Amino acid sequence: MKIWLGLGVLLLAAIVLAAAAGNMWASPADLWLALTGDDSLRSRLLFEWRLPRVLAAALVGALLGLGGTIFQGVFRNPLAEPYLLGSAGGAALGATVALLVPLLMPQAVLLPVLAFAGAWAATLLVLGISRVAGAVDAAGLLLAGVAVAAILGALRSFLMLALSDETVSLQVVMSWVLGGIQTPTWRTLDLLAAITLLCVGLTSLLARRLDLLGLGETMAKSFGLHVTRFVALAVLAGSIVVAAAVAFGGLVAFVGLAAPHIARWLVGPLHRPLLPASALVGAIIVTLADAIARAALPPAEIPLGLVTAVAGGPFFIVLLARRLRA
Amino acid sequence: MRLTAEKLTIRRGTTMVLADVSLAFDKAQSVALIGPNGAGKSTLLKTLAALETPDSGHVRLGDRDVAAIAPAERTREIGFLPQHFEPHWDFTVGDLVRIGAARHSNLAPTAIGKAMATYELANLQERRWSTLSGGERARVLLAMVLVADPPVLLADEPAAALDIRHRLDVTEALAARGRERLSIVVVHDLDLAFRSFDRVILLDRGAVVADAPPQKLIDDPRLDAVFGVRFERLGTGDGTALRAKR
Repeated sequence: MKIWLGLGVLLLAAIVLAAAAGNMWASPADLWLALTGDDSLRSRLLFEWRLPRVLAAALVGALLGLGGTIFQGVFRNPLAEPYLLGSAGGAALGATVALLVPLLMPQAVLLPVLAFAGAWAATLLVLGISRVAGAVDAAGLLLAGVAVAAILGALRSFLMLALSDETVSLQVVMSWVLGGIQTPTWRTLDLLAAITLLCVGLTSLLARRLDLLGLGETMAKSFGLHVTRFVALAVLAGSIVVAAAVAFGGLVAFVGLAAPHIARWLVGPLHRPLLPASALVGAIIVTLADAIARAALPPAEIPLGLVTAVAGGPFFIVLLARRLRA
Repeated sequence: MRLTAEKLTIRRGTTMVLADVSLAFDKAQSVALIGPNGAGKSTLLKTLAALETPDSGHVRLGDRDVAAIAPAERTREIGFLPQHFEPHWDFTVGDLVRIGAARHSNLAPTAIGKAMATYELANLQERRWSTLSGGERARVLLAMVLVADPPVLLADEPAAALDIRHRLDVTEALAARGRERLSIVVVHDLDLAFRSFDRVILLDRGAVVADAPPQKLIDDPRLDAVFGVRFERLGTGDGTALRAKR
């Protein structure tokens, strides 16, 4: 209980800090004015631009934490991560196609659909490769993921080069690839919040079976889990979560890796508490990282993906070293 | 319910892992499976548990094919104790036993506490798997599977990692369980197999070589042939002990 309260307070503090941070720092009094409907330009800028961006960052972080936990659970691998498994890369390729290739459909529909299709296909491909290569062990899975991610990245770069005269969309794609929260309207934010809550709710239905899978395939089977069917279902769920995160936040590295680990230290490995805890930890991380991205080098903005990679990369290396030594 | 195996055959490449194995088990019986390494004991056990699909043949529980029973229902009928168990996450002892209990929806609320007491785990509830000794791990595994005591238990050397006292306790408890419910146990310790169980099945190269009550099988020369040693049969106060020689 104390841990949940702590995480909630921490998230709230992170949101307040992030809302204050930026090219122009705002005081708590400014924030209060903006929230209570003050009509000055400064208040309106805070309310229409900064606040939605901060909340979007928190929600994208929650999705990344959730996605990372599901993939680590499915692959029974603490090094699994949407970004390393190729699922985020698949989603980004789908998004690139939606943005750059002229297709006969409105982008608003095409983008999430293709992002999801890309995430799903890439994850299934990685799962398939590591299964053909033998058991789903840590090294095989990571190598398959790295290979698939490299191929997807190359395809994406090729699309960007081949269609480079469409300069405006190209910039959007670039910000996607480097990771960056798009500032949403309040209505879009409502949608993102609804998606996130739905994802938290739906994935909690997987919790007990993720625990069973964590006992190993033989035990999971003998304890009544239909392993192949459940893995397919969980990969599908994870892909939806990752596609939503990528659609709103681009390729943000290592949050999906770090959030479940930190959450596991706090609440243990049972998935019922782990899934929401990872979502909270992910939200805190991305809220703070996005604040750094906006405020560290004013007036320029550092791409969010660079901030999380610089912070999360060493985290991954430490985990990898510990895993290889064990 | 009776458990029957009909002409089970499993090939891996050109080797026969199980060759036309047919066996029938009563509702209540304690059975020891013995045989040298690679005889097919573990594969037979997994096939009986429907964890492995035979290339041909069937396993039936009552008159139903076990492969056709939904996994969630099958786990209430058949318990399986694997030879190796290593959870991927560092669960606590309490977590693991509760996960085991959760597969049975209408378990008595006292069952978890009872299993904890039976396997001397009450003081280890909050301990994480990674901090447990080999013997403690084996006891946790037993508690996980037997907390929802199923009608059929298939156990693959559950006592191998235990010290002599616990090995004796566990093996004799599993054998005694066979008086009420079916227990089929892979046993490496031949003395324990012959002393504790009502029926001993000797496997070699995927086939059943002998299937008899222990007091009959213990004098069988095929025992020496299959294990590739010469057994000295030593009369003791309460039966015969085996001593292997080259």
